[in-house]
Amino acid sequence: MDVRSHVSMVFHLDKCIGCHTCSVACKNIWTDRQGAEYMWWNNVETKPGTGYPGKWEDQKKFKGGWKKDGDGLKLNSQNKSDYFFKLFYNPNQPTLEDYYEPWTYQYKDLFDAPAGDDQPTAIPVSQITGEYIDIKKGPNWDDDLSGSPEYAANDVNLDSLTPQERSQLLEIERLAMFYLPRICNHCANPSCVAACPSGAIYKRGEDGIVLVNQQTCRGWRACVTACPYKKVYYNWKTGKSEKCILCYPRLETGQAPACFHSCVGRIRYFGVLLYDADRVKEAMSVSEHHLVESQRRIFLDPFDPEVIAKAKANGITQEIIDAAQKSPVYKYVVKWKMALPLHVEYRTMPMLFYVPPLLPVLGKSTNDVYANSLDGTEFPAMLDNARIPLKYLASLFSAGNEETIREIMKKMLAVRAVKRSEQLHEELNEPTKRMVKETGLTPEEIQEIYHLTALSTFNERFVIPETRREQAIEEMVDPEFCKGNCGLGFNEMPPKIS
Amino acid sequence: MIIQFLFIGLPYAAIAAVVIGTYYRLTRKEYTVSSLSSQFLESTFLKWGSVPWHLGILVIFIGHLVPFLLPDLWADLVKHRPILIALEAVGFVAGVMCVLGLVVLIIRRIFTSTLQLVTKPLDFVVYVLLLSQILLGLVTAYSYRYGSVWAPGTVYAYLYGILRLSPDMTYVQDMPFVIQAHIALAWVILMLIPFTRLIHMFSIPLEYLFRLPQKVVWTNEVRWNRRSERAQYMESRRYFFRGVAGVTGAAGLLSFGVLEKSGHYFQGQTLDDAKEATLLEKRLKRMKLTAEEKSYELERLKNDAIFIADLKELQPATGKYFIDYEMRPALAFRDAKGLPNLLSAKCTHLGCTVGKDVDGQGRIVCPCHVSYFDIGTGVPQAGSPTEIPLEHIAWHLRATDGTIVAHGTPDGTVATTAAYDAAKSETYKVFIIKSKGVTVA
Repeated sequence: MDVRSHVSMVFHLDKCIGCHTCSVACKNIWTDRQGAEYMWWNNVETKPGTGYPGKWEDQKKFKGGWKKDGDGLKLNSQNKSDYFFKLFYNPNQPTLEDYYEPWTYQYKDLFDAPAGDDQPTAIPVSQITGEYIDIKKGPNWDDDLSGSPEYAANDVNLDSLTPQERSQLLEIERLAMFYLPRICNHCANPSCVAACPSGAIYKRGEDGIVLVNQQTCRGWRACVTACPYKKVYYNWKTGKSEKCILCYPRLETGQAPACFHSCVGRIRYFGVLLYDADRVKEAMSVSEHHLVESQRRIFLDPFDPEVIAKAKANGITQEIIDAAQKSPVYKYVVKWKMALPLHVEYRTMPMLFYVPPLLPVLGKSTNDVYANSLDGTEFPAMLDNARIPLKYLASLFSAGNEETIREIMKKMLAVRAVKRSEQLHEELNEPTKRMVKETGLTPEEIQEIYHLTALSTFNERFVIPETRREQAIEEMVDPEFCKGNCGLGFNEMPPKIS
Repeated sequence: MIIQFLFIGLPYAAIAAVVIGTYYRLTRKEYTVSSLSSQFLESTFLKWGSVPWHLGILVIFIGHLVPFLLPDLWADLVKHRPILIALEAVGFVAGVMCVLGLVVLIIRRIFTSTLQLVTKPLDFVVYVLLLSQILLGLVTAYSYRYGSVWAPGTVYAYLYGILRLSPDMTYVQDMPFVIQAHIALAWVILMLIPFTRLIHMFSIPLEYLFRLPQKVVWTNEVRWNRRSERAQYMESRRYFFRGVAGVTGAAGLLSFGVLEKSGHYFQGQTLDDAKEATLLEKRLKRMKLTAEEKSYELERLKNDAIFIADLKELQPATGKYFIDYEMRPALAFRDAKGLPNLLSAKCTHLGCTVGKDVDGQGRIVCPCHVSYFDIGTGVPQAGSPTEIPLEHIAWHLRATDGTIVAHGTPDGTVATTAAYDAAKSETYKVFIIKSKGVTVA
C-alpha cells in the first residue's frame, strides 16, 4: 500500500447558477497574457451542449484518455512506436477553430470618435491578429442554449439516448439544462503526463497537482491531444503547453484556488483524499460499468490507524492527515457516495467530482405549470420520467451506469423529503419513508448532508492542509518569478535555496 | 582566397559556432529550445508541408551520414548496380518530397495571417537556405550522376581532412560550382543551427522510449528518495542504458580502429599501381637524400681539406651555405679585406640554421628566436636568447697551384702568407680543413 494524499474537489451542480465568476477570476490571474487569451483553465458549460473546445468529449476525433488493452491500459493518442511521427504533425490536436478566435473591442473608438450624428461603436478586433473580426464563436457561445438544434444537438453524450428520449429532452417547452464548470481534473492516472515526449509534465507527490515544467517543455503538443478533457492548452506565443495549476501558490499560503474562492453559488468543496497509488492502474482497468466503484475503493479511510501509520511512513504530515479527516470531499465521494467523476470511462481517474443535479431532473411542467413535486407516491416513476434522462447523466458521470445515478438521486430526494417534512411539521408518508430507508442514510447523515450542502461555512467547504514551508515551491523560487508565469514548477528534485 | 575561406575557414567557424552556440543554448537558454509549433494556428497545410519535409530530410540525412560513418559498408553496397540505383532513387524522391514540403510551408507562412505573428525574419532565412540546399543537392544528383559512388572518395575525404585538422582542399577545389555551393551552404546551415529554430533537432525526445508512463516529483526530499521502486528501477535502467550506449560506442569505435588496422596488417597491403608508384617515389627520394648525406660524411672522413667555394663567389652581404666537418651547416662570407670569413650557421641557442643575409649593422639573424650575431666576431647581440658566440671555422685559401696563401683558425684569427697576391685573389679557392693535425705549411 502506497498511501498518497491528493487535494481534491467536489462541485455541487444543483447549486451552480452559471455566472462564470470562477472563469473570470481565473482568467484575470493566470491567462490574461498574449498566447493565452483563448485559454480558459476554468470554464462553465451548459449541458446538454458541445462545450469548449467544441465537442471535446468526442474522443473519436480528439483521441484523448486511455483505452483498455488486455489487462492494462494504452494511450488513445499515441504509443511508443508512432509518437515520433506525431511530433511533425499531430493529427488529433485541436486548433484555434476548435476553441475560438479571442477578440476584444476597440474601446478607444468610443473616446476618439469625432462629434457626429451617430453613436460611436466599439468594433470587435481579433486579439491574435488585431484585425476586425466577425464573431462566430466563443468559449461559452451556447450558454443557456441547451435546446438549440445548432449546439445542444451536437452533444456527444446524446448519442446514448433513443431518438424519443432526445426529442423529449430537446423539446423547447420542456427544455432542461444545467451548468458544468470544468477545470483540470488533476487526474491520478493522467494521460497527459504519460504522453509527454519530453517528460515535462509531472504530478506533484505531496498533493497530486499536475504541472507543466515550462523550462523543459518542447512544445510537442502530445499532452493537448492526450488529455480527454482538453484542459492542457498550447500557448502559440511561447510554444509551450499550459494548464490549470490549481493555484498552488495560493494553496501553499493557505488560500483556496481563485475559482473556488470566487464561487458565488458556493458550489465548490475542496479537501484532501488519501488513496492507494499502487492500485490506481488496476482500478482503472476494470470494465466501464464498474469504474466508479473501483475508483471509490482505492480511497482510504483517514481514520483507520493502519492507513495513518502507512501515510506517515510515506512522509505525509500530521497536518495533511488532519485535513483528510475533516475533508468535505471525503464525505461526498466516499462516505455518502454522492459525488462522481466526470467521464470516468476515459480511465484517467479524475480527482474532481460532481454531485449530479437533481433539479432539472425533477422539475416537470404539467399543463404549462412548472411543478417540483416531492410526493413519494410518484417515486420511483418520477426518476424514470425525468426531464433530463438519467441515461444522459450516466453517460457524463458514471460511464453509462444508470444505477449509480439513480442511487444518488434517491439520496438527494431523501434529504429533501426529510427536511421538507421537518419544516412543515408533517409526517412522511409511507412510500417516502420506504424511499429514505432504501437509501441507507441514517438521520444524522441526512442532517449532515443538508448542513454541508446548504449551510456550510467557508472553512467547512475549503479544508486546505497546512503546507510545510520547506515543501512549498514558493519557498524555493522568488515569488516575483511566479507572477505572469504559468504551469511553473520543477520536474527534478529542486535545490533548496538557503 | 575566397575558396580557402569557403572550404577551410568557414568549416572551422561553423563547427566552432555550432559547438559553442548549441552548448550555450541547451544549457543557459533551455527555455527557447524548440521549434515554435504553429499547428495550433494553421493545421491543414502544415500536414502537407511538415510531414513530407521531415520524412524526406530524415532519409537524406541518413543517406549522407551512413557513407560518412561506414565508408566500407557503403562502398560494398554501391558496388552492386541495382542497389546503387535504388539508393539514388530513394534519395532523389526524398529530395523532391523535401522541396514540395518546404514550398508548402513557405506559402503557408506567407499567406496565413495568424502565422505572421509567430514568424521571425530568421525563419525565412532558414527556409530559403534549406530550399536552396535541397535544390543544389537535387541538381547535383541529376547532373553529376551517382554521387553515392564518387562522393566518398572526394567530398568525404575532404570532410575527414577537416575533422582530422589537416584540411585538404584539393579534393573539392576543382569541383563544379553546384557541388561547391552545396558544400559551402552546408557549412552555413550548420553554423545557423544554434541561432535559429533548427535547434529543435537537438530535442528529439528519445527518452520517451525509456520511461514510466507516470511521473511524480516530490518536493519532500525523504519521499523523493523513496519514490516507487519501479520508478527508481526504470531510472537506473535508463542511466544504465545510457552508460552502456556510451561505453559500447566508445569501445566499438576503438575496436573498429584496431580491427581495421590489424585487418590490413594480416591482409597485407593491396595497393593499385599509381599508389604504389607514389609510395616508391617517396621512398626513393628519402634514400637519395640519405645517400647524399653519407657521401658528404665519407668525403669528410677521407680528406683533410675540402673545397668549399671560389673566393670570387663569396660576398660580404650574403653568405653561402656549406657543410662543415661536423656535418653542421655553416656560412661563408668575404670580409672587408677580401679574405674569407667562415662561421658556423648552427645557432648556439637551440640549433636552428641562422639566416644568410647580413643586415645594415653587419649582423645575421636566427629566424627561430631572433638572435642577432655579428658576422665579424660571431658574438650575439646583447638581449638575444643566447650568449654563446658562433664558432669560426678553420680554412685555407689556396692558389691554383695548391699553395696556401692565407688561413683562418677557429678562434677567428686570419693571416696571409708571403705568397698572397691580392691581384690574383679571384683565382683563389677556399678550403675547410680538419682543425686537428693540419697546420700551415
